Amino acid sequence: MINLAGRDILHSWGKFAFTGLGLGLLIGVTLTMAGVYRGMVDDAKVLLNNSGADLWIVQKDTLGPYAESSSLHDDVYRSILGLPGVAQAANVTYLTMQVRRGDTDVRAMVVGFEPGQPGEPGYLTAGRQITRSHYEAVADVKTGFQLGEQIRIRRHDYTVVGLTRRMVSSGGDPMVFIPLKDAQEAQFLKDNDAILNERARTATNPSLNRPGVPGLLEAIQASQASNRNVNTVLVRVQAGQSPEEVAAPIRRWKHLQAYTRVQMEEILIAKLIATSAKQIAMFLVILAIVSAAIVAFIIYTMTLGKIREIAVLKLIGTRSSTIAGMILQQALGLGLIGFIIGKVAATFWAPAFPKYVLLESGDAISGFIAVMIICALASTLAIRAALRVDPATAIGG
Amino acid sequence: MNLAIFRSRSFGLIVLALGLLLAFAFVVLRAGPLAPTQVTVNPVKEGKLTPALFGIGTIEARRAYLIGPTTAGRVLRVLVDVGDTVKAGQLLAEMDPVDLDERIAALDASLARAGSTIAASDAQRRDAQARNQLAGMNVKRYQDLGEKRFVSSSAVEAKQQEAVSAQAGVSAAEANLAAARQDSLRLGAERDGLRQQRGNVRLLAPTDGIVTTRDAEPGSTVVAGQAVLKLIEPASLWVKTRFDQGRSAGLALGLPAEIALRSNPSRLLAGKVVRLDLVSDSVTEERIAQIAFDTLPTGISVGELAEVTLKLPTTQARFVVPNASLKRLNDQLGVWLYQEGKAKFVAVKTGQSSLDGQVEILDGLSGGEQVIVHSAKEISANSRLKIVESLAEAGK
Amino acid sequence: MQQKMQQTFGITIEGLSKRYGSGNAAVDALKDVNMTVAPGEVVGLIGPSGSGKSTLLKCLGAIIEPTAGRMTLGEEVIFDGGWKISDLKALRRDKIGFVFQAPYLIPFLDVTDNVALLPMLAGQPNAASRRRALELLTALDVAHRAKAQPSELSGGEQQRVAIARALANQPPVILADEPTAPLDSERALSVIRILNEMAQQYQTAIIVVTHDEKIIPTFKRTYHIRDGRTYEEAGEGRAL
Repeated sequence: MINLAGRDILHSWGKFAFTGLGLGLLIGVTLTMAGVYRGMVDDAKVLLNNSGADLWIVQKDTLGPYAESSSLHDDVYRSILGLPGVAQAANVTYLTMQVRRGDTDVRAMVVGFEPGQPGEPGYLTAGRQITRSHYEAVADVKTGFQLGEQIRIRRHDYTVVGLTRRMVSSGGDPMVFIPLKDAQEAQFLKDNDAILNERARTATNPSLNRPGVPGLLEAIQASQASNRNVNTVLVRVQAGQSPEEVAAPIRRWKHLQAYTRVQMEEILIAKLIATSAKQIAMFLVILAIVSAAIVAFIIYTMTLGKIREIAVLKLIGTRSSTIAGMILQQALGLGLIGFIIGKVAATFWAPAFPKYVLLESGDAISGFIAVMIICALASTLAIRAALRVDPATAIGG
Repeated sequence: MNLAIFRSRSFGLIVLALGLLLAFAFVVLRAGPLAPTQVTVNPVKEGKLTPALFGIGTIEARRAYLIGPTTAGRVLRVLVDVGDTVKAGQLLAEMDPVDLDERIAALDASLARAGSTIAASDAQRRDAQARNQLAGMNVKRYQDLGEKRFVSSSAVEAKQQEAVSAQAGVSAAEANLAAARQDSLRLGAERDGLRQQRGNVRLLAPTDGIVTTRDAEPGSTVVAGQAVLKLIEPASLWVKTRFDQGRSAGLALGLPAEIALRSNPSRLLAGKVVRLDLVSDSVTEERIAQIAFDTLPTGISVGELAEVTLKLPTTQARFVVPNASLKRLNDQLGVWLYQEGKAKFVAVKTGQSSLDGQVEILDGLSGGEQVIVHSAKEISANSRLKIVESLAEAGK
Repeated sequence: MQQKMQQTFGITIEGLSKRYGSGNAAVDALKDVNMTVAPGEVVGLIGPSGSGKSTLLKCLGAIIEPTAGRMTLGEEVIFDGGWKISDLKALRRDKIGFVFQAPYLIPFLDVTDNVALLPMLAGQPNAASRRRALELLTALDVAHRAKAQPSELSGGEQQRVAIARALANQPPVILADEPTAPLDSERALSVIRILNEMAQQYQTAIIVVTHDEKIIPTFKRTYHIRDGRTYEEAGEGRAL
C-alpha cells in the first residue's frame, strides 16, 4: 500500500515546511506563553527554595514579607531561637528598588541576610559568599553585574564578590544580597538632601530643639536615622520536627504570624500571581483557539487545492477512508513539524525573555497531545469537504 | 538528469529533516530535565589561611574638649573660628560679665567702709582703755582715802563700781573691733570671689588643639555646661570601629590594621588596635575597638567613614575549601563532592575563614576530593553533573 | 447473433435512461440508450454539448445512477433498474479505466506510481504493481520518464501515462473523455492509435467521447448522441 500523505508531503515539502514553520512559530508562542506562567510559578517557588527556610515569621495579621509589607524588631529572632524545635532563625530584609549600575539602573530586590543563616544565596555560579560584614554583595546574573563591579545602593558602594542564578523575587526581579546591617540601613536611608531636610525640619521644631537642653536635638536626629526593623525572620526547624508544630506556639504566644512552606506557596501562587496567571491562561486559550483555527484553515485550503486530484482519486476508485487518512496524516504531519519547530524555537528564544520562562517537559508533552488533537479535529473540516467532492467533477461537463 | 535532480532534492529533504531532528534532540537534552548541571570543582588541599576581621568605623578624636561657661550667660564675643589652631591658655571666647564689675566696685567700697569702721572701733577701744585706767587709779586712791577715813565707804564703793564698768567698756570696744575686722575680711573674700567669676567669663584653651565647631555666636545665651566651642587634639585621632560580634573571634589589642578611608579607598593606611571596649553594643551586636593610625594622615576629617581590616596571624590549615562550596542540607553543614558525574554530600566541620572566602575544614574531608564550588542550579544527589572551567559565560 | 454478442461484448447497455429532477421540472437527459462495445474495439461517442454524452459517460462510469435500463459489463450485470453491485468504488477501480480530457495525474506521485496507484489501492504488492506499471509504460513508450514527476512531462506524454493508468488494473472497459482535446492533431491521432493498440493488446472495450473532428474519421463505429438518444453509425475507420 502506498502512503499518499507522505508522498504529498515529500512532493510539496517546501509548502509544508513553510506552513509548518508558521504554525511552529505559533505553537512556539503558545508554549512560551505556558512557559511564562510556569516561570512565574517557578519564580515564586525558587524564592521560597532559595530562602532555605521552613518557617517565615512576619508581623501579625500580614501576609508578609513578599505579598505584603511586614516589619519586625530585629531582636525578635532571639526569642524565636529559644523555642523548642528551632534550629536556626535569622533576620532578613527585602527591599525592591532600583539599583544603580553605571549610568542606568536595574530593578532588583535587595536582600539583607546574615552569612551562614537562612536567607543566604543557596548556590553561586561564580565568586564567593560574603565574608565582610559590610559593603559586599552577591548579585543575580540577571542584574548584569560582573564580579568586582561596584553596586551603588542608596549612599554606599558594594563590591560584587559572587554571582548567582535564578535568585529572583516573586515579581521576577533579580536579587542582590547584601549584609543585613547594610540592608537595614539602606531600607531606611534616604538620600542626602532628604536627610538634610529632615534634620532642618526637626531643628525648627521648638519642642524638639529646646533651648537649655543641650544634646536633645542630636539625640532625636540620631534616633531618626537608625532602623532596627527587619521584614521577616526565617526559621529552619530541627531535623524531624514538623514546621506546623513549631509555628503554633509562635502564633499563639509571640503575637507574630508564622507561615509554613505550604502556606507561603499558597500566598505566593494563589494570591500574588493569581491575576497574572488568569491573564496568561486567557491568552493561552485564545492562542490555542487561534492555532486550531489556523491549522484547520491551512489543512482545509490545502485540501481545496487538491480537489481535482481528490476527485480523480475518487473516480478511479480510491476509498473514502484512504482519502480521509491522507488528509488526517497530513494534518498530523503538519502538527508534528509545527510542534518540533515550535519547541525548538521556544527553547531558543526563551532565554532572551527578561523574565524567566520555564519550558516544562510535561507541558511540552501535553502541548504535543493538544496539537495532535487540534490537528485531527481541524482535519475533519477538510475531510468532510474532500468526501463531499463529486467524482464527476473530474469528467467535467 | 531527472534522477539526479530527484536525488539531490531527496538529499536536501533528508538534511533538512535531520537538522530539525538534531535541533530537537539538542533542545530536549540541553534544556530539558535530562540536561546535566554545569559545575566547577576545586580539589581539597592544604593551604595557608589568613583569617581577618572586617569592621566599619568612624574617625573620632580620643580627646575632645567642650569649651563653655560654668554659669548661664550671654556670649560676648568669640575670638576663634572652626579650623583655627589654638595654643593652651589662649583666649577663645568671652561671656558677657553683665554686673560683675559693678558688684566688685560695690564690694571695694564696702571694704573701704569696713576699714573706717575698724579705725572707729579701735578709737573707741582706746577711749575705753583710758577710762578703765582712770577708773583703776581712782579706786586705788579712794581705797587709801577710805582706810584713812577721809571718805565714806560708800564713796569708795561707787568708785569700785565705776572701775568694773570701765573694764566692761574695754571688752565691748575690743569685741567691736574684732567684728569690724571680720566684716572687712568677709568683704575681701567676696570681692575675690567675684574677681574669680570675672576671670571665668573668659574661655581659655585648655590644651593645644583645633577648633572643630563653633556652637554659639555673640549675643546668644548658653546654659551652664553648654559648649560654645569644641576643640580636639588632632594628634589623638583614631578610628572607632565596630566589629560584628559573630565574626570578632581573635580580636585583640595590638593587632595590625589596614584602614581605608572613604575619601581615598584605594590607599590603605596602617594602624593597630589600641583599645578594646569591654562593653559591646548589645543592640547592634557589635564589638567596639579603637584603631590608632601609625602615622596620622593629613587631610582627614572627624566623622569620616573608614573600613578597617585586621589581619590575624597566618595559620597553616590542613584543608581549605572556598566558602561558596559550603552548603546546608537537612540541618547539616557540608560540601558536595564530585564523584564520577554524581554529587555526594559530606558533612564537614569548619574552622577559621579568611576574607577572601577560604574556609578551613577541621573534619569530614581527607584531602584530594573534588569539591563542587559553583553550580548552574541547586544540586541534589540525583543531579547529572558536567564539569566546566567556569560558569561566567552563563552570566551573560 | 444477439445472444452471442452479449457473451463476448465488453459492455452492453440497453434502454438506459436518466431523468434529473421530478414532476414538471423533470429533465430527461438520457432516453432509452442502447450501446454495445466489444472487447478490443474502440468506439466513438459523438455529440454536441448538452446532448447528454456526459451523463451517459457518468452512468457508464458508475458515478451517477441511471433511472432505468440495464448495463452489463463483461458477463456481469451491474445495473438493472438499480445497482447490482454494492461496492461501486471497487467496480470503478477494478473494472473501469478512465482517461480524461486533461491527464489529471496525481502531482505528488511520480509517473510509475501514478500508474501503479490503482493496483496498489486494489491491494497488490507495491513491487508487483510497479512492475506492471513499468510494463505498461514500456508498451506506451514512456518508460524513459518512469521516475519523472508528472509536471516534468509534455502533454502527450502525460496523456500516455494517463492511458497507462487506465490500463493498470486491466479493466474490461475504458472510458475516455475527450482524451485528445488539448493536443494537436498529430498527437491526437497518436493517442487514438495507442488506444487502438491497447484495445487490441488487452482486449479492452474503449469508448471515446469526443467532438474532435480530427479523430472522428478514425473510428470504425460511432454512436452519435442527440437529445438523449443514441444513433449508431458506421465510421470511416480511416487508417492511422
